[in-house]
Amino acid sequence: MLQRWFLIGAALITPLLYTASACSEELVVYSGRSDKFVKPVVKAFTERSGIKVLLHSAKSTALLNKMRVEGEHTQADLYLSNDAGNLQIGSDLGLFTPVSDAIADTIPANLRAADNSWIGLSARARVLVVSNNAKDVGFVKSVFDLADPRLKGRLAITNSSNGSFIAGTTVYMLTAGKEKTKHWLEGMKANVDGKVFDKHSKIVKAVASGKLDVGLVNHYYIYRHLAKEPDAPIHIVLPDQDGMGVAWNVAGIAISKYTKKRAAAEQFVAFLTSEEGQKIFAEMNREYPTRKGVAAAAEVPAAGSYVVNDIAMSELGKQRSATIDLLEAVGMP
Amino acid sequence: MIAASVVLLATIPLLFVVYNGLQLSAERWAALWSGRLPALMWNTLTLAFWVALGSFTLGVSCAWIIGRRQFAGRTLATWLMVLPLTIPTYVYAYIYTALLEDDGWLGQLWHAVFGHDAAIPDLYNVGGVALVLSLAGYSYIFLLVRAALMRSNRNLEEMAQIQGASGRTVFFRVTLPLMRPAVAAGLALVVLHVLSDFGAVSMLRYQTFTLSIYLQMSGRFDYQAAAGLSLVLLLISLTFLVLERFFRKRQRYYARAQSRVVVAKAATRGELILLWSWLGLVTLFAFGLPVAWMLSWSWEAWANQMIGAEFWGYVNNSVIVAVLAATVATACGLPIGLYHTRRHSLLSSTFLHLSSIGFVLPGPVVALGILTFVIAGFSSLYGSLAVLVMALVVRFLPLAIQSQEAAMQQLTPSIEQAGRIHGAGPLENLWRVVLPMMKGGMISAWVLVFIDVLKELPATLLLRPVGFDTLPVRIWIEASEEMLELAAPAALMLIISAFPALWIMMRSEIPRRQS
Repeated sequence: MLQRWFLIGAALITPLLYTASACSEELVVYSGRSDKFVKPVVKAFTERSGIKVLLHSAKSTALLNKMRVEGEHTQADLYLSNDAGNLQIGSDLGLFTPVSDAIADTIPANLRAADNSWIGLSARARVLVVSNNAKDVGFVKSVFDLADPRLKGRLAITNSSNGSFIAGTTVYMLTAGKEKTKHWLEGMKANVDGKVFDKHSKIVKAVASGKLDVGLVNHYYIYRHLAKEPDAPIHIVLPDQDGMGVAWNVAGIAISKYTKKRAAAEQFVAFLTSEEGQKIFAEMNREYPTRKGVAAAAEVPAAGSYVVNDIAMSELGKQRSATIDLLEAVGMP
Repeated sequence: MIAASVVLLATIPLLFVVYNGLQLSAERWAALWSGRLPALMWNTLTLAFWVALGSFTLGVSCAWIIGRRQFAGRTLATWLMVLPLTIPTYVYAYIYTALLEDDGWLGQLWHAVFGHDAAIPDLYNVGGVALVLSLAGYSYIFLLVRAALMRSNRNLEEMAQIQGASGRTVFFRVTLPLMRPAVAAGLALVVLHVLSDFGAVSMLRYQTFTLSIYLQMSGRFDYQAAAGLSLVLLLISLTFLVLERFFRKRQRYYARAQSRVVVAKAATRGELILLWSWLGLVTLFAFGLPVAWMLSWSWEAWANQMIGAEFWGYVNNSVIVAVLAATVATACGLPIGLYHTRRHSLLSSTFLHLSSIGFVLPGPVVALGILTFVIAGFSSLYGSLAVLVMALVVRFLPLAIQSQEAAMQQLTPSIEQAGRIHGAGPLENLWRVVLPMMKGGMISAWVLVFIDVLKELPATLLLRPVGFDTLPVRIWIEASEEMLELAAPAALMLIISAFPALWIMMRSEIPRRQS
């Protein structure tokens, strides 16, 4: 009898000690970006270098919390996020170590951390999706026009906890000032009357179906929809061309301060910022490669053909709390 | 001794919360009090009230029908009532949001009935969240009330009938009051699930304590405010638990030994139609529609050969974690429950309440607390499955204790004394007398924990070993990428994985019903 229980006990304990034992030769990436957009470039890297990469996916912010608490015991060699704000917060928390200048210099200075502790890999533009059948939308030339009462019941935005929404708002707040941004938020709040979307893709769908006329989205959602339905009656409007320019946000990567595989981690970042890596990484999601001279997918408006707000991406992290305060003060849904 | 050490384990997250909460300055506390707290309190309590009402109505009505009437398909009906336990709240929220969209099944139906311009109701309000959580939670009340009905004494009801009371009066004045302990225990479970629910409220963006705590932590990296809010939530929950215990203590019913076996009345034809339409309606929304949705999307995935070998890995990981955590939690719950049933002292009830902390605190907070503790003290363990299992045990320990305690209450001291008189030592007594008598309670404790662990998301997301994906993790990842055809089969597998465990529990109940 006792023997049997001993066996059962042993059977229970063995898996408890399970750790990913293959860890030693593998790079572990804490990834807050969709698996399917990261896997192709990881595959290409492994084929080139023979180094395996394990993606540990969760929400960007949760992973950052995890790294913060883990400290020097972290298993992460790299941290990947869709939001420059998260990357900068991680950098401010002292979780990352700078990449070498040789790698960093291939990327424009405003798309990486001041101390190179994170590097932007691909950029997304905050743009408007407008229905071809909508009447009286010609006046919408700036994101601030979205607060115009003429758009009451015709506007589609995401909820204000969306990372891209927060990042965009930060850019507008820093360029146009807190007061103007507050009025803008209040105007949009009145226009949507409590009905906000939880996904950008649903905004594009709603505008394409004619239910709503104008939406504020990341550019690639428009082209993702058009790829599925080429005849959808929607078009892109690049806002603020006479003024502050389109807000960008970057996805980027950072090397953990406590990695024991620094050389391999650098090699991975080097590949991601190489022309080949940039192409694969950005094209999967029709984003803009951050490396100078690498073109985005053919259907999106070429980078350089329109005015982009030149704020340093690191501000997205430094000012995030201020933005959230503003959103809460307005009571943005 | 053993009880004390288990309780110590359970209080780790509390220490984390108190430690961080204490660093919150007086001004920031004041700001919390005047700013967020009133709204959060109101949101959380109204939600708890509506979910309690909703799951009470569903759970008690279905339990009464199945417990008091004999009809064709009764076993099937029992199963259908219990199966919603296997669907996580975030999956309900996700599916119902999808169904209510313009091109969703319910959305299309709505347009067909009310015209094309009619606005489809959405779930982003207290009613919607309450609906989702009631559907996900009423089975707890159903299970407990049905078991109580089966065991209860019909004499009292018949007595009332003889005295000329109408059927309705009997139900409200006799049956329902008799069910009070079971209803209270069920409601407690449901309300605790509501207070700690993270999946549905975050998906439907309904600001409760858990969601707000999570946003403080993840959006602003502000552990102190998060800990402050957690402390308040903890106080509310503990007040609620103490109240529930207090009411239960006052309500003790003893059935006399010679009470007759319960025989359910056969349903007439009219009743049969009525009761099946009600049960059918409940099942349709709680189980039928969600499963139909999962099946249709899974079929898509299957037809496109998108389900690869790694999918079975997720199933495997989920089951391993759930078996480990359920076994450890049941074993850990035993000494605490036993200690409380024997002593009923202040210390024992303190133990009991302390051990319920994991269930009350939001999953992400429990996970961070355990993480901090392991890193500080046992960093060599870090990254292994043991840490995840530990967190899950802390989270679901109260569930294990509650279900075992019910069984322990049948264990009168005289039975144990009889064992001792016949020469059994304390250990042998435990082995040969106590444990066999508690088998039923232990099995249901194990199954309930198993199912909850299988569905658990926030702690698993944070604490799983690198690259160790479970089904809920995959559901979450695929759903946030809007890969419905991959999220659906994972949700379906969750139901199927829980099936054997449910079967064990239901089987252990059947002899009780037939005898």
